[in-house]
This record gives sequence, C-alpha cells and structure tokens, in this order.
Amino acid sequence: MTLKALAALTLISALAVPAHAQQMVFTSWGGTTQDAQTEHWAAPFSEATGTTVVQDGPTDYGKIRAMVEAGATNWDVVDVEYDWALQAGEAGLLEPLDFDIIDRDVLDPRFVSDHAVGSFYYSFVLGWNPAQFPDAQPATLADLFDTEAFPGNRTFYKWSAPGVIEAALLADGVAAGDLYPLDLDRAFAKLDMIKGDIIWWEGGAQSQQLLASGEAPVGLFWNGRLAALEAEGMPVGISWDQNITAADALVVPKGAPNRDAAMAFIAAATGAQPQADFAAATGYAPINTGSADLMEADLRATLPDAQTAVQVNADMAYWAANRDEIGNRWYAWQAE
Amino acid sequence: MLSFLMPARRGSGLGMALPALVLLLAFFVVPVTLLLTRSVTEPQPGLQNYETLLGSATYLRVFGNTFLVSGTVTLVTALIAFPVAWLLAITTPRLAGILFGIILLSMWTNLLARTYAWMVLLQQTGLINRMLMAVGVIDQPLQLTNNLIGVTIGMVYIMLPFMILPLYGVIRKIDPAILQAAALCGASKGQALRRVLLPLAAPGIASGALMVFVMSLGYFVTPALLGGTSNMMLAELIVQQVQSLVNWGMGAAAAFILLVVTLILYALQLRLFAGRGV
Amino acid sequence: MLMNFDKLGTWRWVLAGIAVLMALFLLLPIVFIVALSFGDSRWLIFPPPGWTMRWYHELFADPRWLQSAWTSARIAVVVMVLSVILGLLASFALVRGQFRGRAVLRAFFLTPMILPVVIIAVALYAFFLRIGLNGTFTGFVAAHLIVALPFSIIAITGALKTFDPAIEDAAILCGAHPWEARARVTLPAISHGVFSAAIFSFLISWDEVVLAIFMASPTLQTLPVRVWTTLRQDLTPVIAAASTLLVLLTVVLMIVAALIRKGKSR
Repeated sequence: MTLKALAALTLISALAVPAHAQQMVFTSWGGTTQDAQTEHWAAPFSEATGTTVVQDGPTDYGKIRAMVEAGATNWDVVDVEYDWALQAGEAGLLEPLDFDIIDRDVLDPRFVSDHAVGSFYYSFVLGWNPAQFPDAQPATLADLFDTEAFPGNRTFYKWSAPGVIEAALLADGVAAGDLYPLDLDRAFAKLDMIKGDIIWWEGGAQSQQLLASGEAPVGLFWNGRLAALEAEGMPVGISWDQNITAADALVVPKGAPNRDAAMAFIAAATGAQPQADFAAATGYAPINTGSADLMEADLRATLPDAQTAVQVNADMAYWAANRDEIGNRWYAWQAE
Repeated sequence: MLSFLMPARRGSGLGMALPALVLLLAFFVVPVTLLLTRSVTEPQPGLQNYETLLGSATYLRVFGNTFLVSGTVTLVTALIAFPVAWLLAITTPRLAGILFGIILLSMWTNLLARTYAWMVLLQQTGLINRMLMAVGVIDQPLQLTNNLIGVTIGMVYIMLPFMILPLYGVIRKIDPAILQAAALCGASKGQALRRVLLPLAAPGIASGALMVFVMSLGYFVTPALLGGTSNMMLAELIVQQVQSLVNWGMGAAAAFILLVVTLILYALQLRLFAGRGV
Repeated sequence: MLMNFDKLGTWRWVLAGIAVLMALFLLLPIVFIVALSFGDSRWLIFPPPGWTMRWYHELFADPRWLQSAWTSARIAVVVMVLSVILGLLASFALVRGQFRGRAVLRAFFLTPMILPVVIIAVALYAFFLRIGLNGTFTGFVAAHLIVALPFSIIAITGALKTFDPAIEDAAILCGAHPWEARARVTLPAISHGVFSAAIFSFLISWDEVVLAIFMASPTLQTLPVRVWTTLRQDLTPVIAAASTLLVLLTVVLMIVAALIRKGKSR
C-alpha cells in the first residue's frame, strides 16, 4: 500500500471512528522520517490494535515543557533526541516506561533508559556534491574545515546537539577517545575559522536542498538524508570516516492522556520487523537487535551498523548532563 | 430575538456596538493584558526581563536589526512607490488599470507562496544570482538568503502596495492647476517637484511610511523564512522565547516593547497630521 | 505640468521605466512559482531538467492538503459571516449612534489592525492554553475574527457614511418597521461596503499564518499552517503546486470582483 493511500485511510478512519475508539497522538519531526514512521510503525499498529494514531509535529521541546507545566499534555508519544530524553527524564517531564509491555531485552542497550528507548540511530557523516569538486574530493572531517582546498559554503545542523562540536574537535586532531569532556573553547575556535562560510540547516529536507542545489557544496549530514538523495538519483559523495552516531528516542510526556496506548505503541514500534522496515525506508539504523536478520545484506551494508570500525559514539550521558550549558554557549556564539 | 439590540430610532445605538465590544474585550484586551503582566511577574516579580533585554548586546542587536531592516524597507519602498504612484495618478485609465491589477495580484497572492518564491529565487544557485552572473555584474554568487539582505528584499516586495496606495490617494487629489501656476511663475520641473509636488504629497508619504515601518517592526514570516540564525528580528525573538524556550517573561517583555514603540509611532502620526484629512 | 503625463518630457521615460521595473519585480515571484510547480527537479533547480505534473498528483493524492484547505475554507466562511454581522452592528453604532466617546470606540475597534499580529498571536496562545481553546475551531474563528473585524468596520462605515439616513426615515414614515427599513432600504444601498467587508474578512482568515501557527493542532490545521510546516520540514515542490492553485484562486477572485464592479457601474 502506498503511503498516500495509507494517509488517506488513517484520515478517513480518524473521521469515522466512534467516540469510544482508542486514539493517541504521535509527534515527530515531520518530513520523510515521519512519513516512514507513519507507514511502518503507526499503520501496522492501528491495524493490529484498532487504535488510531494521529500524527503531529514538529517535535518542540518548549511545547512539551509548556504542556507538562500547564498540566495540559496532549502528546502521547514523542520522537526526541536521545540526550534530551535523558535530561528530561531527570527533570521529571516524562512518564517512566512500562517495561512489562516494552521488551527491554531485544533492544540495543546503548539506547534504553527508564524514561526512553531508542527510536532509531543515525550517523552524522561528511557529504558533498561531487559536481562542485571536479578535482580533489573531500574525504575527512578536517577537509570540512579546509576552505582553501575545498572552497564554498559548509552546512551544519543548526541546533545545539551532539555532532557538530565533536566534528570540530576531531577535525582539529583530538583523538576519538579523548573527546569527552568536550573542550568547548577549542571547538568554537575551530568553528570560528569557517564561521562566515556556514549555512545552518534546521531540518533534514533543508540539508538535502542545500546540498543538491549547490548552495552548500559540502557539510555534515544525517546519513539517511544522503541515502535518500542518492535514491533520487542525485550524485552524492559520502565519507563514513569518523562518522558520529547519535540517536532519537521515543518518550511519553508526563500526563499523556493515553498512557496505555502510548506504551503499546512504543512496544510495537521498537519491534524487530517495524524497525527493519523503517531502516529500509530511511537509511537509519534499527535499535532492535533482531532487526538485522530481517534485512537484505546489501541494505545492511548502507546503514551506520556497517561502519562501526570508523565510528565515534557521541556520549549521550555527557550531553544530557551538560545540554543547557552547551546550548547557551552555542546559541550565543551563533548570534555573535 | 434582536429586540435587545433595537434601540429607539434615535436612541444612543451603543447597544449595537456591544457584540463587537465584548468580543474584543474577551479575546483581545484580556489576553494582551495577561501577557503583558507576565513580563513583570515571571520568573519573579520585577523588571529583570527588561533589564536583560535592554542590557545585553545580543538582544540590542535584535533591536538594531529590526530598526535597520524596517528603516531600509521603508526608504526603498518610498523611493519606488513615489514615481509609481505619481505615474498612476496621471497616466491613462487603461495603463493605470493594468498596473493596479498587477499590484493587487501581488498583494492578494498568498503570503507564504510569495515568500517561498523568493527563497528559491534568491538562493546562491537561484535565478537572480545566475542572471546577475550571466550579464557579468558579478562573478561569484552573492549570499542573498539567510541574512538581512534576503529579508529586506522579501519585505520590500510585500510592503510596496501599502506605500503605493496611500501615496496614490494623495497625489490624485492634487489640483493640476497648482503645478501649472508653479510653471507660470517660472519654476523648472525640478523646482516644481521639490517645492510643490513633494510637499503636497508629504502626508501620503508619511502615512504610507508609518504603515510600512510599523508593519515591518513586528513582521514574523519573512524574517523567519529568509533570515539567518545570526540576525534575528524582534518578532522572531518573541516567538522563540515563548515557543522554544518557554520563557514567557522575556517574550512578554519583548512584546511590550514592540507594542509601546508601535503606539508611540501612531500617536506621533496623529499629532503631526491631525486635521490634514489623511 | 508635473500632473500631465504628456508634458513631462524626458521624465516620462524615467517614470515609465521605474513602473515597468516594479511591475516585473511584482510579477517575477508569481510567474516563477507557476513555472517551478511544473519543473521535475525535487530540489528546486531552475530551470528544471524537464517538466512534470508530478507535484499536482502528489498534492491531490495527499488528503492532508485537501483536509487543510477544507478547514481553512470552513473557518474563513464563519469568520466572514460573523465579521460582517458584527461589523454591520458596530458600524451602525459608530455612524448613527448618539452616545459620547464614539471616536474613542472607533479607535479601539481598529486597534487590532495596527498592532503587530505576533503580539496578538502570543497573547491568545497563552490565553487559550489556560482555557483550552488551542486547536479548536472556536479558537481559530475567535483569533481570525479579531484581526478581520477592523477591516469589516472600515469598509461598512465607509459605505454607511455616504448613505443619507433620511431615505431610511422615509421608509419608516411609509410604515416600515425600523429593522425592516434597515434590511430592505439601507442594506442594499451599502451592499458594496458589505461586499468588500465580506471579501476582506474571508481573505484575511484564509491567508492568515502567524495566529494559525499558534492555534493549530494535529487534527485542525489550516492551509497556511500546512504550507508553513511543509516549508520548514520538507521543501517539496508540492508547495509550488499548492501556491500556483492559490494564485489561480486570487486571479479568479479578482476577475469576479472586477465583473461585479462593472455590473454595478452600468
């Protein structure tokens, strides 16, 4: 069934459901990622349980906090960044997950905590538009900061999150094992060198647009977005060298109106098959350890899973503990 | 059913204004007042939100950007709108009709559609940059989006009709005989323009400029879509404080400053041009 | 001399040149967006490698676009009706009323028009969070009504001022009830003002973005909210297709309005 047809079905059923039928709200980041979550997680879940999943978005941490503080939560499950989930869990903004319903043992232990389980995981990778580098092609994170050899705008993720700061430090010669605690002074000094050439991307689609249109011929991207560009027939250069992993998480905001449906949804979404299907659709890696066996070998080879040898794991616990401090400095630096 | 609204034929008539009055009180006065109160009560009572806003370089830059862009937009639209309004007032009805059609079409076209078009037109590989490079004005693409240049272009586009229409209204009413008299007295065209036409059109320029300037001060959509991260404008700051940071106190304080500036500008306009019939 | 186009001499060409450039400037994005909507580049490369109807197919295949357009239309119609009714009543009070402080009341009614929308949006959002009106049809209508009403009042008072109340009095003298006189004599006479009020109110609600971004919920989104979130999350050319249809709608509305005006003047 196509996604559009599915969306049509969801809507029609949303309109047609009798008042007593279960309904819940799932919030994610929009765009193709949420489309895939709708198709591979929500649709089979609705079919199996009869619970309608209303899609909302984009995820907004301010909104979650405002809802919880006002006691007016209307999101049931939210896709958030994993480090935010850890911090918000500490701050009491999230419901504890019910691990009687969600099977903890089949999930990648890197991405399980009391208040959050992984949604999918991804890598920040170096990507470029080959048409704009006819001679030498960029290959390492250091090339990203070398505007002489590789002139043109660079594009980075706008929001304060694991990824860009790590990339700056790695490019500056910090060994992967010595990244944490992050040397922010050094990272910002490195970023200062190319600040005038940075265009920030706010969402995945924008990053693709910047790269494909040539506005920013090189940058640091979510691997799945580059995979999608390739699938569309765009020539894209990808380097997995020192790819930096981070993850999204599924959480239930405190006071969610349909808590039971929310737990059941998370249990279903993190199942082996839905995780495998989602990975196939997006190029992001599954967090269910059983998913790999359900996927074609050549597909698995394109996922961050296959790149562990050259991989750097962002330290989620460090980020959760220092998120606000880094964020304040990050936005002040951007606005300077 | 409507009897309660039915004053005697020559009664006061205030009753008929009641529904609108109640609506505005409930959904305008009360919410705005509640919001503004929060600027001095959150996170704790006091003026610290205003101190932060007016005391930090980051926020002062936001005010600077806002006034800079609004001022530039006002100036540029006035420079374009004056000759156009003048031409509209004196040209054939047919030509004026076509020009008005174009102005109204652009004004009535969905705001987001127009802004989206500029986002694509102004990107580095966009049409504008490529045309400029093709005719040899530049050899490197200019950075026209994600900064204040993009915001200014996009806002001039949106504000032009609001400058042209009031100017046209004023110029159209100017008695050609006055200018003829100027010519008879030996004034050159340049003198007639400076000494007669411009002063007579001044009220139109002033009301158009005020409208454009004030609308620009509080504009959100264009700066959010065409502006960059490092040069925010005031409306963006308000939305960011409220929506992303849930900092109601700061958001409300910024809103209050915007409100006061707006009202002062209108009061000034009323004072300066009261009784001029504009 | 300056008020006679033929006597402007070389200045004529300066004025005409500026006007032509401005016309091109105003038309460029509109023509461009129409062209873009038929281009087959997913990444907005222009001129596109080829032409396609794909984005229109995607637009009509995705029920969320139609759903939001329908929501917008419903809200805009209700706003239009309420805005005209409240505007009519308020205008009668302002133009015919005999009470003190009419000028102040008029200024008060027009305030929402001069205040930046972002202030009203944030204020209403906070207020609606408390009373639970965010994401509801009522909330949308109330928010849009606030900003539409001033335009309605301006259009209707404008028409009402030029209408001589003596004619209404005459109808009453001939035995008509005052409300009957208003409905059968005054209303037709000021119909052009009422008509503009209706069009303005509809368009303001139909096009409104900032209030709508704050009021929207997953199940209740207007078309501008849909365009806005798509712009921010997924820069698909479907937006160009939707925009083109909106341009088309504008052109149709303008032609209708012009025909009505023409019909009147005959």
